[in-house]
Amino acid sequence: MITVRQILHNVLAVVILTLLVPCPLLASSGSLMIFAGAASKPPTEEAARIYKQKRGVEVQITFGGSGFVLSQMKLARRGDVYFPGSSDFMEKAKRDGLVFPETERIVAYLIPAINVQKGNPKKIQSLKDLLKPGLRLAMADPESVCVGTYAGEVVEKNLTPKERAFFRKNLVTTVESCEKTANIISLKGVDAVIGWEVFQRWDPERIETVFLRLEEVPRIGYLPAAVSRLTGNRPLAEEFVNFLISPESKDVFKRHGYLMSLEEARKYTLPGTPVGGEYSLPKEWRRGKR
Amino acid sequence: MNFGKTAVFAALALFLFYVVLIFSLLTFFEGRSFWEVLLAPDTLFSIRLSLLAATIATLLAVAIGLPAAYALSRASFPGKKLVDTFLELPMIMSPIALGAALLIFFNTAIGEAIQEKGILFVFEFPGIVLAQFATIAGLATRLMKTALDEISPRYEAVARSLGSSAWGAFWKITFPLALRGLVSTMILCWAKAIGEFGATVTLAGTMAYKTETMPIAIFMALASADLRKTIILILILAGIGLSALYAVRFVEKRPQIL
Repeated sequence: MITVRQILHNVLAVVILTLLVPCPLLASSGSLMIFAGAASKPPTEEAARIYKQKRGVEVQITFGGSGFVLSQMKLARRGDVYFPGSSDFMEKAKRDGLVFPETERIVAYLIPAINVQKGNPKKIQSLKDLLKPGLRLAMADPESVCVGTYAGEVVEKNLTPKERAFFRKNLVTTVESCEKTANIISLKGVDAVIGWEVFQRWDPERIETVFLRLEEVPRIGYLPAAVSRLTGNRPLAEEFVNFLISPESKDVFKRHGYLMSLEEARKYTLPGTPVGGEYSLPKEWRRGKR
Repeated sequence: MNFGKTAVFAALALFLFYVVLIFSLLTFFEGRSFWEVLLAPDTLFSIRLSLLAATIATLLAVAIGLPAAYALSRASFPGKKLVDTFLELPMIMSPIALGAALLIFFNTAIGEAIQEKGILFVFEFPGIVLAQFATIAGLATRLMKTALDEISPRYEAVARSLGSSAWGAFWKITFPLALRGLVSTMILCWAKAIGEFGATVTLAGTMAYKTETMPIAIFMALASADLRKTIILILILAGIGLSALYAVRFVEKRPQIL
């Protein structure tokens, strides 16, 4: 009969052997681990490749929803740079003490807009057109996805309660990520989404952007990057963040259709439209409070 | 250490692995929030939705899978090996790939016609059921085939020789003998359906109070960087799943030779 002592001895032996094996998975001091929102995937990958070529530093990037990767960074207790898709999640990271606030830099600007299928078969020209009966709309989840928060804000600040009811009637689904918000138009799953104007650049053959009116844009979004407090190499992490705002990196983002200056972004908004910050969703948009 | 002890050690080591995973969740567990999260309207909705969708998907999988399993176990027909192989498709394709395939299907002329004239699946409750069904149907058929394989066809042959119809022989002889295995299959597939995420989120979306099942709620909580809620929802889902799987233990009968 096996005794408890024998079992414990065997388990202890396995644990000790495991700890003795060198772990190749831990990032070396000459590499960086970036946790990034998916909103910037194409240009971030290219910028990271250029950085690696110039500096010989391996850049490992985990993409996903901004909140999801923040959770991953927090749970893994490692990461050098946090690069979410909006200021909302950067503010959360600051509140949670996960980044050095003074290292935050703005990499690119984002404008919320309506995205429709190429050719605009449903003839959607404005926000109010989204209220037409029979339309199928989608948006990113407003609590967990940056562009979803902006979409919620656009709806809340520009539609009357009665109009919001029509909008909700047409809203068939929320989706779990930035790229899914764009993909759902590419796949013709819905007639329109409220996403980022840059989505058209992601899939120009299938997605068309219909800009909101200047006064309908509640905030100018931006892609912020900051050094994580969990970094093992702050100077290198800061160097990467500064590289992201260098002319070389900005060229990459510009080529991918991102707005690189506030002046460019302001072409789509009123002069006094706020930049970044945080929006508190009304309780109708929150899961637990309905 | 003899073979018997080694085998028991392996079982206990595996048990310890999963127990450690569950206990590690407690490092972020906030007990005072447990009831608040459990009784929140969105959590209760997700639990009800998950239970309902998994039950319907399982019943459908068994309803279609049982005759399919019988054919694979007893009959010879052209393409049998091909059919048998395709049943394992959900095991090879990731759930997200399966969900994407379903989403793309509903973009085709046939898929659009089904949605226009029949039932709406994309981003609707039937989509959850369909996604879960797609994930478990092959597995259900495979497991039920195994259960039927253990019943000798001679019993049915004898029944037929004594004047029973084919259906009668199956219903009165084979089915009762295979019942334990079939019930085990149902419970296992139900548990798998409850935990299904990839295909469901791709086809049915993540809308709270509409298509947000428990696995999707866990993902959305993590995506909101709400670790407190994530841990509690994981424990709730694990509790539901483990309770169901433990029930299988009272249905299964395995020979003890050690």
